Amino acid sequence: MEPTAGEVRTLLIGDDPLTEGLHEGLVVQGHIVATVATRPSGDRETLAAAVDAAVALLGRTDLVVHVPRRPMDPVSLVDQATADWVAACEAPMAEALAVVRACRPHLGSGSRLAWVVPTVALGGAAGFAGAAAAAEGIRSLAKGAARQWGSEGIGTAVLAVSPEVAFGPDAGGPLVATTTLADSALARPGHPVYDLAPILSLLADPASAALTGATLVADGGVWMSP
Amino acid sequence: MTGTLLLKDRVALVTGGGSGLGLGMATAMARHGAAVVLACRRPETGEAAAAALRDTGYDARCVRCDVTSTEDLEAAVASTVTTHGRLDCLVHNAVAPPGPPGPVEEVDLDRWEALVATSLRAVFDGARAAYPYLRAAGGSMVLMTSASGIEGSASLPAYAMVKAAQRTLAKGLAVEWGPVGIRVNCIAPLGLTGALSAACEANPVLEERLVRRTPLGRLGDPVEDVGPAAVFLASDLARYVTGQTLVVDGGGFLGL
Repeated sequence: MEPTAGEVRTLLIGDDPLTEGLHEGLVVQGHIVATVATRPSGDRETLAAAVDAAVALLGRTDLVVHVPRRPMDPVSLVDQATADWVAACEAPMAEALAVVRACRPHLGSGSRLAWVVPTVALGGAAGFAGAAAAAEGIRSLAKGAARQWGSEGIGTAVLAVSPEVAFGPDAGGPLVATTTLADSALARPGHPVYDLAPILSLLADPASAALTGATLVADGGVWMSP
Repeated sequence: MTGTLLLKDRVALVTGGGSGLGLGMATAMARHGAAVVLACRRPETGEAAAAALRDTGYDARCVRCDVTSTEDLEAAVASTVTTHGRLDCLVHNAVAPPGPPGPVEEVDLDRWEALVATSLRAVFDGARAAYPYLRAAGGSMVLMTSASGIEGSASLPAYAMVKAAQRTLAKGLAVEWGPVGIRVNCIAPLGLTGALSAACEANPVLEERLVRRTPLGRLGDPVEDVGPAAVFLASDLARYVTGQTLVVDGGGFLGL
């Protein structure tokens, strides 16, 4: 199907159930979506080639959404092997930088690059210390990119989602109980299709252009600061 | 030093301790009675710094340590414990130079890997090596973060990334280690180190700009201004403080 000029064209980068849910939800929102799957062994050049091919299919990119890889099982830091640490902390940040490099040529005025990270970026988490650190590093990346690209009309943003959404209910549920004081105001963590994709869609709307570098917390009302 | 010695009989290992902020913090900790071990990549620098501290009557020594080497970090911890019998505080201050400002999409891969190796992998390795001794001592760990990590940096985005990551890593470790009595905190300093002095000499506008955005109107001194923050966080005064970032920058960053 040929996309029409008014449709939002979204490049989604990730490879997990959350990414799949966001894909479905963005389609429901009327986006034309192309997904590039990330691979643990993927290098910068492979990712760039995949992004180029996907953008060629889309015709242009209004919104890029990156869902960085993250571990799904908690392991305390002292029990981790170096490979565990690299996978949890270093690889996701390197992947985010590779996404920036690959997507920058395709971003123009009015477009936006967004990341989806767990809220543990804000408060840390036992068993997920490396993943939380990576998520916070990516939040800083979004801010730095926003400051550099703002004059060109290119925005960034971060969507922070519940650990139950990011790590799954088995690991995320207990994590929520140990990392926050507050219960979820909405008493649910947020559904990728019906709760989270609409927020990403908002970020593609020109009406949100003044919002850049910021983190939108969509965890059902656990984190409410600042 | 007069008054109460907040770190009497304590032992601190400071990476990047041979100069700049690391030496400033080590000096302040030594003034408060700690035996300090300066972990330095360039031993000639660290030996001279340790000798100068000893000449002033403090307990200081240097161990050669490249923090990008797991073995070096393990050896530095082991040497500290062998010599002093304990380890109360690990201050991780070492960091690779951030490199020149540039577009975020052109972050040099080698520079990035050096920043990750010194600021994150080294914390992972150091934390694992120090854990049993910090646990035995009821000790603490101090990481050096930066307000740029919190604000995001238009000039040094990769540096800001790793500093932001360190801050949340400290929170995660604080949660993991709190139950066994180990505290983990961060300092976000603005200290006039040798590197910053050189940067200001090369770019006179930089110092003027930094001072202008600092309510106290000056850049911090590594020993007199930043050092006390490390003393406090390592001492019993901070026994109920963990997972926090202490911003020591003359009021320049007020966004916490």
